Amino acid sequence: MNTTRALLYLLLLAAVLALPAVAGPFWTGLATQVYVFGLLALSVDLLLAHTGLFSLCHASFFAVSAYTVAILQTRHGLPTIAAAPAGLAAGTMLAMIFGIAVRTRGVYFILITIALGFVVWGVAYRWSSFTGGDNGVTNVPFPAIGPAAITTHTQYYYLVVAVIVACGIGYTVLVSSPFGLGLRGIKASETRMRSLGYRTGLHLYWAFVISGLVASLAGVLYVYYNRFVNPVTGSFQISVEAALMAIVGGTGTLLGPFLGSAVVLGLRNWVSSFFELHLMVMGLVFICTVLWAPEGLVGLVRRLDIWRRLRRDAS
Amino acid sequence: MTPAILQAINGISFAALLFLLASGFTLSFGLMRVVNMAHGAYYLLGGYIGLTVAQQTGSFEFALFAGGAAMVVVGVAVDRYLIRRVGDNHLAQVLLTVGLAFVIGDLSLAVWGGDNLMVPAPDYLRGAVVLPFDVYYPKYRFVLIVLGLVVGVGLWLLYRKTQIGAVVRAGVDDREQVNATGIDIDRLFVIASGLAAFLAGMAGVAGGAFLTLYPGAEWEILVYALVVVIVGGLGSLEGAMVGALIVGLLDSYGRWLLPEFSYFILFGPIAVLMLVRPRGLFGAEH
Amino acid sequence: MTEAPAVQVDALSKAFGGLRAVDGVSLTVAPGERRVLIGPNGAGKTTLFHCIFGTLPASSGRVLLHGHDVTSLPDHQRAALGMARTFQISDVFAELTLAENLTLAIIGTDRRKWSMLRRVPRFPAVREAALEGLRKVGLAARADEPVQRISYGERRQLEFALALCTGAQVILLDEPCAGLSQSERQRISAMVAELPRDITVLMIEHDMDVALALADRVTVLHRGAVLLEGSPAEVRADPQVHEVYFGHA
Repeated sequence: MNTTRALLYLLLLAAVLALPAVAGPFWTGLATQVYVFGLLALSVDLLLAHTGLFSLCHASFFAVSAYTVAILQTRHGLPTIAAAPAGLAAGTMLAMIFGIAVRTRGVYFILITIALGFVVWGVAYRWSSFTGGDNGVTNVPFPAIGPAAITTHTQYYYLVVAVIVACGIGYTVLVSSPFGLGLRGIKASETRMRSLGYRTGLHLYWAFVISGLVASLAGVLYVYYNRFVNPVTGSFQISVEAALMAIVGGTGTLLGPFLGSAVVLGLRNWVSSFFELHLMVMGLVFICTVLWAPEGLVGLVRRLDIWRRLRRDAS
Repeated sequence: MTPAILQAINGISFAALLFLLASGFTLSFGLMRVVNMAHGAYYLLGGYIGLTVAQQTGSFEFALFAGGAAMVVVGVAVDRYLIRRVGDNHLAQVLLTVGLAFVIGDLSLAVWGGDNLMVPAPDYLRGAVVLPFDVYYPKYRFVLIVLGLVVGVGLWLLYRKTQIGAVVRAGVDDREQVNATGIDIDRLFVIASGLAAFLAGMAGVAGGAFLTLYPGAEWEILVYALVVVIVGGLGSLEGAMVGALIVGLLDSYGRWLLPEFSYFILFGPIAVLMLVRPRGLFGAEH
Repeated sequence: MTEAPAVQVDALSKAFGGLRAVDGVSLTVAPGERRVLIGPNGAGKTTLFHCIFGTLPASSGRVLLHGHDVTSLPDHQRAALGMARTFQISDVFAELTLAENLTLAIIGTDRRKWSMLRRVPRFPAVREAALEGLRKVGLAARADEPVQRISYGERRQLEFALALCTGAQVILLDEPCAGLSQSERQRISAMVAELPRDITVLMIEHDMDVALALADRVTVLHRGAVLLEGSPAEVRADPQVHEVYFGHA
């Protein structure tokens, strides 16, 4: 990694760490949301950028882990040390089941993930005796492991930052590992990979499960932040939003999904103060992004960079 | 025994409605390689427009036509000015049309509100039909089955037996070749996308008369249509017919036997398909 | 004691609906042999390759690799058993660098491909092997450039290097010179000729001169069936071949 890049990351980290002190509780809360949804967006992007598979069911893993944590902590009184891993496991196991979808590619895969996502949403919504239906599960406490208990939003903010940084490192290593390279090979030419001896279906399956695990982790972080979960958490809208964040921010990068998350959530926050129809706004953002900025913001920045350099060389 | 038969008829009538929606979706893909996720929104908007027309004119038949016709305008415009610009990129098509569906959904909410609205059916379609064993069954649902059959047969004839159908099928395989023979393939694609939108809009009016229209209905019905197409195979008309029957019946029996798990029953066929025949029953390798 | 043939095909057929692309083809290739398949367009040569390699399943018949029946095995398993192939239209990983291409080939039949916790640069042996593979085809200087930047001829060379890097003992080359200029053809022909004799080569080739120069034995296909099999001289002289095959320069 070159020095400018490293410096940029350090500056960013410094800004992130300083935020609660500088900006106050509203922005701290919003930033926490941005990081959590950014992680969800990253999980979607892990698949999209590196395997070409576009999944629209990741909200299912997000919601299942959130619900599991919520139900275990509120209804069964389990402590965080048991509930959080259980939530992570539940979401990941669902990903292992939904992973059969990788028997298809392209459009079929997208449609199947949409349908699967709705199945989970439908269960969350209709199985009210277990999930609380429309009302969801409330009063989820802050996480606490033994004597170390979170008591303020600011403390939780720093916990989330720590988890995200760890994920970022993990993501970077995974993506530059032989496994990650293999995924990009499959995306480039699956026939070629098979002719080199790769069991491509299995690689894609594990990629799907890993991305489901990351989405489940985001779900655990979410439920402790929001203290509440309901069927909307696992809705198609959330899956789509996560994909939008990845694309707006720029797929294939570590920061892109988080940037996209900031844009989408920031926009929604701002617009909802004067306009009710925020789904419509999201829809318009989708349409505009697809038509005019398919590489997302990171891509735009790159293009701007080149343009600036050309101007410099020409003059 | 009778409740089982009742559920079967429920399932078949729902299948007829699903077929109207799924056939347009699957043909859009089979003919034009377009995945249009706004089909559910066409259903909803067509239904709402039909509702307003029915309320203003008192004519259900005209409402059916109006709902369909309105969506032809929207569908063709969307196809020409939006979808055409992203070409064959399925991911972009999905994102674009999902965005469009959100826009249509929220606009419909603003105009028609959030309550469950029912399209008023004409008197001669209300009431019940008497079946054997003194069972009363809604006349409307029977008529829906007939409508589904008529459309199904009509589409099948058009697609498989006519010159136009053959040309469009050829055009999917090789656009330039067909253009070179002097046939304007773009115009044919416009007709095809218009027809798909018409069916969706008309389905909205038909469905709105017994399922009601409400925000979110566009996604609920679309999911069913997606499962139909997954099971039947993308691009196959026969697949849409068979898939619709399977999904309609499964949903009906599922709701009756396990009401808390309605969508869950759909997971079964998806899982089976994935393991045994990922392309769908009539799906093509391409 | 006779060694098992490297590749043996027994009465292999492949039908697409009503069309028999490959019709009862049998051939036996000895270890280390250079066998060239020739025949007019549509003779079924590439389809035969697909069936031998496992890219497509055969409709009937058997394929044996070093005496083992691999007919029911999918392509990636046959690759793991020591077969490699190139494609008629060059198939390499366009978005990746040359070194990354070879890296994938090197670890393809290796447990290292599952490693998720170590980054690729931390496998120096793999990097060295990739560079060595590129050196053999003269592309080492461009190791870290994306494939998109190299010419088609160079992609053909890269594809050749990919096949070699897998360590396969049986290599199927599908028209390795197709789409190349005269000098590029000579490069590839030289590379094929220089392959060590512990590697068995099956090659589809359209250029009669190149084919007959490289071959130990030639199999002529016509309409999916074997028309004739023999030494290059026998095939060159045969009147049937001249009648059926108008493709030579």
